[in-house]
Amino acid sequence: MSVPGWRALLVFALLAALPLAPGMSRYYLLLAFDALLFGAIAMSLDLLMGYTGLVSFGHAAFYGLGAYATAILMERGVQSVWACIGAALLVVGLYALVVSYFATARRGIYFALLTLIFAEVVYTFFRYTQTFGGSDGIQGLPDATLAPGVLIDTPLRKYYLVLVYLAAAYATCRVVVASHFGRVLVAIRENEDRARFLGYNVQRYKMGACMISALLTGVGGAIYPMRSAFATPDLMLWTESGEFIISVMIGGLGTLVGPIIGGAFFTILRDKVSSVVDWYFIVIGGVLIVIVLFMPRGLLGLRQLFERRSGRAAA
Amino acid sequence: MDYVLTILLPQLLHGLVFGAALGLLALGLTVIFGLLGVMNFAHGELYMLGAYAGIAVIGVTHSFWVALLVAPLLVGVVGAVTEMTTLRLVYNREPLYGLILTFGLALVFREGARQIWGGDMRRILPPFTGSTPLLGMTYPDYRLFLLAASSLILLALWLFFTRTRAGIVVRAAVQDAEMLDGLGVDVRRVFTLTFAASGALAALAGLLLAPVFTVYPQMGVEMILLAFIVVILGGMGSMGGSVAAAFVIGIAQSLFSLWMNPQRVAIAIFGIMIVVLIVRPRGFAGREGVLE
Amino acid sequence: MILEVADVSKRFGALAALTRVSFAVEAGQVFSVIGPNGAGKSTLFNVVSGLHAPSAGTVRFCGEDITGLPPERVNRRGLAKTFQITNIFPEISVLDNVRVAAQSRAPESGRAASLWRRPDVDGAALALLETFGLAARRDAHAKNLSHGEQRYLEICVALATSPRLLLLDEPTAGMTPGETRDATALIRNVVLERGLTLLLIEHDMSVVMGISDRVAVLHFGEKIAEGTPEAIRHDPRVIEAYLGGGDD
Repeated sequence: MSVPGWRALLVFALLAALPLAPGMSRYYLLLAFDALLFGAIAMSLDLLMGYTGLVSFGHAAFYGLGAYATAILMERGVQSVWACIGAALLVVGLYALVVSYFATARRGIYFALLTLIFAEVVYTFFRYTQTFGGSDGIQGLPDATLAPGVLIDTPLRKYYLVLVYLAAAYATCRVVVASHFGRVLVAIRENEDRARFLGYNVQRYKMGACMISALLTGVGGAIYPMRSAFATPDLMLWTESGEFIISVMIGGLGTLVGPIIGGAFFTILRDKVSSVVDWYFIVIGGVLIVIVLFMPRGLLGLRQLFERRSGRAAA
Repeated sequence: MDYVLTILLPQLLHGLVFGAALGLLALGLTVIFGLLGVMNFAHGELYMLGAYAGIAVIGVTHSFWVALLVAPLLVGVVGAVTEMTTLRLVYNREPLYGLILTFGLALVFREGARQIWGGDMRRILPPFTGSTPLLGMTYPDYRLFLLAASSLILLALWLFFTRTRAGIVVRAAVQDAEMLDGLGVDVRRVFTLTFAASGALAALAGLLLAPVFTVYPQMGVEMILLAFIVVILGGMGSMGGSVAAAFVIGIAQSLFSLWMNPQRVAIAIFGIMIVVLIVRPRGFAGREGVLE
Repeated sequence: MILEVADVSKRFGALAALTRVSFAVEAGQVFSVIGPNGAGKSTLFNVVSGLHAPSAGTVRFCGEDITGLPPERVNRRGLAKTFQITNIFPEISVLDNVRVAAQSRAPESGRAASLWRRPDVDGAALALLETFGLAARRDAHAKNLSHGEQRYLEICVALATSPRLLLLDEPTAGMTPGETRDATALIRNVVLERGLTLLLIEHDMSVVMGISDRVAVLHFGEKIAEGTPEAIRHDPRVIEAYLGGGDD
């Protein structure tokens, strides 16, 4: 069993100390929140893309469903962080079970297509169902509570909430990747057919990877309304899925850490670019094309997963 | 009886035309996937560009017919250039890269169209107006023309794939891409031509349908989603299956629209897909023997 | 009888790849299947190992009907196959290739515990690599091995799943005559040592004649002869099939 090495601990310590940095205004703290949240979701997508070789074009649905789970509970007066996360796990888990079952039944390309189609249906459903607010979604949500009387109301508290989430998600991914299950995922990525001939029920493994990735993403989605105070159908747009994918690609497939950095980097890029430029999507598309053609390894590159040197498990 | 003639039948005919257009798109996807190994996420955008290229050509020549000839060619060229400069580089890599590449291309094309022509809905006027009395109901001439045109196109394609050497080779290669190596053909040129031709056909469909629907940058997105469903239903690698499924979906879409709002129609189509996937996981005509 | 193939036919659309092929393999035997190119040998292996379900006929393994079972279930019963075109895991190390194969038999495999535990199969994996002389290359990426080494790795990976019946599809394909001799001896030793049964597809007649107990000959999807290597060598139908088919 692998334990996060000292490098990871150091990074998390630094992140924990970030709010103390000079110039950390409310704006930057919330930007940091967005960056870490996006990074965590990109990392969970990497479990699917980088390690198992499955591209999910509908990951935004897991994210959005988590957000709506929180929003719906909060609308009805349930503000507990734990209740919201629990609800998100339930809802996203059920959805992911159905999607992954159909999407993994056939070879790789169907996964991409079916996740996309399912996500579109979910988006359409939420966009046009007035019970959930239609295109406006659910707005004006209150702050979440950690425990009775303990509100997560300041940017500082929200930041620490997402930091804990990121740490937990990272630890989970690290353990899974180093486990037997994780090794089989890599084998499936490398040669799915061969893995079957070794006695592995490949569909089950793919479903497992998809569920873990979806649940982690769903928790991230559940946390989002605790910062933004709303949940809208736009969270489930395929363009959002595209942004997750681009974060993974920027950071580097199969590295876990790379996508966190990629996600953070992309969040900040988006914040700067979309306010300046109207043709933001051309930039995204262009970046994707350039990365695929010239920098397929992303910033961190595809690393060897079967590291044998002990203590090398982190960062 | 009145209902059947005045409402149901025209909608059915409309569904046939829509199904034919979907079939062109799905066929293009199937051929590109079978031959090049890439699922072309940008195919809907080629359809969309066909309509916009048509607008551009009509703007210059004021002739729909000239546009019908030139626009697909223009889009074909765009396709060829795209294939040569980008797709070609990812054939030997894991399939994941091709997916992401075409996804990126789709974004660029879509937003590019929006930048060039604006995001508003545009109209292409049908080249002729007027309607013809048919079975007790008047039917717009242009729609009749569409019926005829789509039948012709599909017939031509069928002849191409069954009677010409090139077509037979492509069809066989879709089933088994490796067989091309043994034939002594210039594989790179075949790939480029195939991609360009598929794009041109998609563009043709886009332009032909434009006077019936409106033209806007997102028009390709809805088509490609339906085309994906068609391909899943028809069974990957089966060209005949794709076309058959396209008609089923096209007619279903058309008929459902009579009775449900657009969102419910989408969910109904999706429901059809789920049911088929449960009952026949490989789709109508999926290839046996491919490790699914 | 460890394997019984009864009246197996396989059609792909209009193409009849196999027509009513029947034979039986006894435990501990080395049974070879030969025939000109396109005779259906690989298709036969694919049907036996579960990649294709036969259009007709049955396959019984250790007395149990495995017809139409998917590859992973067939493998779990004790049947492992190698591929004619090397089919390993390219981007991971040689040791990891064998490890992931061996791990499929660990008790944690397929259970929730596999999400956080990793069974230690290094011993068994390394032993296999030693046997095939690959121990020194254990950290190299599988894709960087020489062709001969990769063929050996193929076999190691299959053996790591502890099979009782091993299907080798042209194990010496692409090897030099020297490598072929060594490989043949090695395979024969391993099979004897572990008490395995071997079902072999081979083009190289010296290999076939050297280690087989029984030989079956396929031609255009039909079995045209079966018997001891000596009998097959002199069978006029076999000679004609090869002369006509233009092979070996």
